Amino acid sequence: MSFIEVRGVSKTFKINKRRSGVLGMFANLFVPKYEKKEAVKSISFDIEQGEMVGFIGPNGAGKSTTIKMLSGILHPDSGSINVGGYVPYKQRKNYVGRIGVVFGQKSQLQWDLPVIDSFELLKAIYSVPDDVYKKNISRFTEMLDMGGFINQPVRQLSLGQRMRADIVAALIHSPEIVFFDEPTIGVDVVGKETIRAFIRELNQQDNVTMIFTTHDMQDIEKTCNRLIIIDEGAKIYDGSLGGIREQYGTTRQLDVEFAGKENVADIENVEIVDLEHNKKRFIFENHSVHINELMNHLLSNYNVRDINISEPEIESIIRKIYNREVAEI
Amino acid sequence: MRLAPYFAYAKKCFLGRSAYRFDHLMGILSTCMQFFIFYEIYVALYGNNSEIDGITMSMVTTNFVLSMGLGAVFSPDDYFLPNKIWDGSIATEFLRPISFKGRMIAENLGNALFSLVFHFVPVLVIALLTVGFNAPASPVMFLLFILSAILGFGVLWSISFAVQMTSFWLVNIWSLITIKNVFVNVLSGSMIPLWFMPKWMSGVMSFTPFSSIYFTPVQIYLGQLSFSEIALKCAVQLVWIIIIYFIGNILWKKGQQKLVVQGG
Amino acid sequence: MRNVIHLIGMYTKTTAKSWFQYRVDAVLKSLAVFLREATGIIVIWFTLLKFDSLNGWDIYEMLFLFSLLFLTYGIMIIFFTGLRDFGSTVRSGNFDRFILRPRGLLFQIIFVNSDWFAALGHGGLGITLFILSAGQVGIQWNAANIIYYIFTVAGGVLIQGAVFLVLAALNIHLLSTNSLKNLVYWNARKFAGYPISIFHKAIQIFMIYIMPFAFVNYFPAQFLLRKDDMSAYPEIFMYLTPIIGVVMYMLAYLFWRFSIRFYKSSGN
Repeated sequence: MSFIEVRGVSKTFKINKRRSGVLGMFANLFVPKYEKKEAVKSISFDIEQGEMVGFIGPNGAGKSTTIKMLSGILHPDSGSINVGGYVPYKQRKNYVGRIGVVFGQKSQLQWDLPVIDSFELLKAIYSVPDDVYKKNISRFTEMLDMGGFINQPVRQLSLGQRMRADIVAALIHSPEIVFFDEPTIGVDVVGKETIRAFIRELNQQDNVTMIFTTHDMQDIEKTCNRLIIIDEGAKIYDGSLGGIREQYGTTRQLDVEFAGKENVADIENVEIVDLEHNKKRFIFENHSVHINELMNHLLSNYNVRDINISEPEIESIIRKIYNREVAEI
Repeated sequence: MRLAPYFAYAKKCFLGRSAYRFDHLMGILSTCMQFFIFYEIYVALYGNNSEIDGITMSMVTTNFVLSMGLGAVFSPDDYFLPNKIWDGSIATEFLRPISFKGRMIAENLGNALFSLVFHFVPVLVIALLTVGFNAPASPVMFLLFILSAILGFGVLWSISFAVQMTSFWLVNIWSLITIKNVFVNVLSGSMIPLWFMPKWMSGVMSFTPFSSIYFTPVQIYLGQLSFSEIALKCAVQLVWIIIIYFIGNILWKKGQQKLVVQGG
Repeated sequence: MRNVIHLIGMYTKTTAKSWFQYRVDAVLKSLAVFLREATGIIVIWFTLLKFDSLNGWDIYEMLFLFSLLFLTYGIMIIFFTGLRDFGSTVRSGNFDRFILRPRGLLFQIIFVNSDWFAALGHGGLGITLFILSAGQVGIQWNAANIIYYIFTVAGGVLIQGAVFLVLAALNIHLLSTNSLKNLVYWNARKFAGYPISIFHKAIQIFMIYIMPFAFVNYFPAQFLLRKDDMSAYPEIFMYLTPIIGVVMYMLAYLFWRFSIRFYKSSGN
């Protein structure tokens, strides 16, 4: 049995449809009209202890709903969830003491008070023993370089500082699993790097299981070894980051610089685009055109000065997946 | 000064209010309920008397419907500045190429106009259809009532403005605003007609700006004041606006300096 | 248990500390609540300086009527601020955070935001009014009346607590209940200090059967004061407050338990 087991989980929301007009307003109040939206449709996956898994998907794909079900905030309509022997939404009080959750958009710190006061309160809420608390705080504040602002009121912090403090807040009780919902949103580049490095280190040193949702592919590329793509409530990819290239990234492009002006005749299954100077781009699918043959063809027929092959960026592949531009093979 | 952006803010507020129609309807119902309850209280107090101290029941009713109706219109957003200071957005506010005070007035006016049309008028109609109230003493008095009501709004607005300015130093001013509203509610005549205040209290109140918010317009409407008295009372309203706004403006300037020095 | 008391202490400390970031506001808070709530009293006081009595109730009897309302509210609000503000807790997503912490949900709702300063303002007003009026209205403070008074206050606390609990639970079904709360609770409360006998029949029915403020102060005060206008109502009404309180609170609690299962996070 895996550490986290999710089997055929679905969640449907009722969305209140508003009617217009004064009569409609009263009707809305007394006889609300609902529309059903399937946020998550029969998703299954397993996650082992110590894994780092990134959930990505466009807005409204069902990422946050999945995280909320895993963390016990929402009950699934059907299917089952088991995390380390607990059913999150049934054994809430025992379960939530073992997890940490960071919502990038919603701080859990006391807005008017110094950061350290929020930590003290969390210590009491989770009944963290003194020695564990001291150890965690000194270790995390050092790793995240927080010494300079731990005594400042939260409302005076920059977004990046606040996010670092929020991450520590979620870790004070030494959780076994940490959920990050958009942990780098709005943070500057340097801040993002600090956060990513910290997350990697924590995963390696403490074997904490980590689950992300993010819009920033860099977050995933720099931290996770596994990626789950969700779209319209369904899982459409589950595997390694490299695997996604193999599975979907079948487009290749060859940029060729010619010695002089060349008129290249059409080649079957290859799209030719003119670039500046004497450059042309050849775009093709790697299963329909053999790259060696194409290069040979070009080198033997034309005067080539330079050649450059590139694979598509993960980000653009994923964008294509969302847009249904690539079909699964 | 270009006025277009201010109209845009006023319009935004006006339209924004119409999005919460249910809340708005409930607001009208609330005002009517308050009005009826005070009406009933005074019916009980009057008993069989047709008038007390020369004040008839219908004058009392008129006082309540006008001051409560105007109360719904005169609702400056007391937290306009404090909220922006508390959440830090004040720093970006000052970067906009328009006057902050101008925007504050524009938004308040947008709200007030909405309330005038969709709150005050319905309340008047409901009151007219149920218990009824007095017509204005004369067309001239009605016009002077409108003038005085506008000045009354000015007094209330400048009080709110001056109190809000203290948030540059205190940040959270819920208590001050609450205390200010207690004074406005009790001393402006919207909960007790000021005719019935004891003599010594009327004396005290003549040194405060509160009675000039609703009570002056109501007295003009009922034709209780001569033209010379009207001129005097409106002048008093104007003087209060100038004094309070002047104080508020000093705080405003000092507050901005403080903000610049501390960098938000 | 010690752990829980320590946590309540920490919540209180955190809330108080947050307020004292703004010293002037914190210092004035109790006074502001006291004055805001006293608005209605000041008005009735000025009014009765002029009119002597309202349907047979003199100023001290009126103050006694008001004191029951404020005392019960002051006790109730010590525990129920969080329920009063539950709508904004849900809308801001803070309730999600409560679920993620290994503590009882109702426990957190009650203690995370408990507003001791406001409670001091409300309760202080109730006690002030009681002291001002209790000796002036001719009540024999014998054992029977004292016991009756204590039960009545408890009943009044439960009645208002039940209303807050129901309104809080409604937040789970409806997104915003502010205007409903304004209409049903706050508006009614502004006039609950007056003897209901002066009002229109419809308002009386509302105050007795729908939002039963009449049982918080009017009928209990009648037991102690026996004014003439009681003849319009059944004698038994004077003895029902504790029972109504317990029954209403139990029903409200069941409704809350039922509703909480339907909670759906405000989503993304």
